[in-house]
Amino acid sequence: MTKNTNQTFSPVPDRDGLEARFGVRVASMLGERAQATAPDISERLRFAREQALVRAQAARQVQTAAAPVVVGRGRTAVLANPLGWWFKLGSAAPLALLVLGLAGIAHVHEKAQIAAVAEVDAALLADDLPPAAYTDPGFAEYLKTVRE
Amino acid sequence: MATDKELSDFLKSVEKRAFKRTAFAVRDDDSALDIVQDSMIRLAEKYIDRPAAELPLLFQRILSNATMDWFRRQKVRNAVVHNFSEFSGPGDDDGEFDILEMLDGIEGNIGTESASDSVSRDQILQLIEREVGELPARQREAFLLRYWEELDVAETASVMGCSEGSVKTHCSRAVHALAKALKAKGIAP
Repeated sequence: MTKNTNQTFSPVPDRDGLEARFGVRVASMLGERAQATAPDISERLRFAREQALVRAQAARQVQTAAAPVVVGRGRTAVLANPLGWWFKLGSAAPLALLVLGLAGIAHVHEKAQIAAVAEVDAALLADDLPPAAYTDPGFAEYLKTVRE
Repeated sequence: MATDKELSDFLKSVEKRAFKRTAFAVRDDDSALDIVQDSMIRLAEKYIDRPAAELPLLFQRILSNATMDWFRRQKVRNAVVHNFSEFSGPGDDDGEFDILEMLDGIEGNIGTESASDSVSRDQILQLIEREVGELPARQREAFLLRYWEELDVAETASVMGCSEGSVKTHCSRAVHALAKALKAKGIAP
């Protein structure tokens, strides 16, 4: 709410101030009415509150269970998780195997492609005919005729 | 992190106002109770790790969202949107209304407790409650959050998901509409 310091000594409050006073006054009357709520409604509200508190306690327990706890072993204290590292490792192992398998397949496939291309290159280079001959349209026509 | 006692005390302090505010919106006590209970549980489950000082604003947000969810489930969204978008109406243009006169009147009539007239006082309080319930939804929400829940303008805007300017406009219109309605009912000099 903005306060106009120029109106400090003015006998008439500013419009915002008047509205606020009126609003607070009406709200306080509503508050009086609200306090006089019917017993059955008060009872249901009390039940709702208790339910909320029960849920809050449950939520706290879940948070506590999920958080790492310090476990004493002899003279040392180590961080331990109730779920255990073995459980986490067991959950991650299939995924890791899948990723490794896919990477292996990709590697083998790539090597096979490289070998095939190298074989073609080697055959072209080892041939008596120069590779540039295959770009000549007349030679291509000749090869076509020979095949027929 | 809020302790059980802090959470319990907070919920106890806010539950009746929360119920009333929700009942104003959904106009059904049972549904309002369900919404308040859901909101309490949501706060307890999801925000229990927050400090106690953050609970009021979080709860108001959760309650507002839960109320909107209720309207969505009721499949009356169009009606709600129509109601919520009622920024101006035939009774809103009251810039010249004398709020000071109305304030003096209401404080004169009710602010000074008259032990001999408690029945009349209760009737007036009922009337005020009814008039608040008759306000357009956004105006009522802004009014209740600002003056009843005592949130500041920025917090109210955050809960309502609108600008601070909109909050001021809603509050001002709500105050003037209430003042006018109460004066029309004779709660004024």
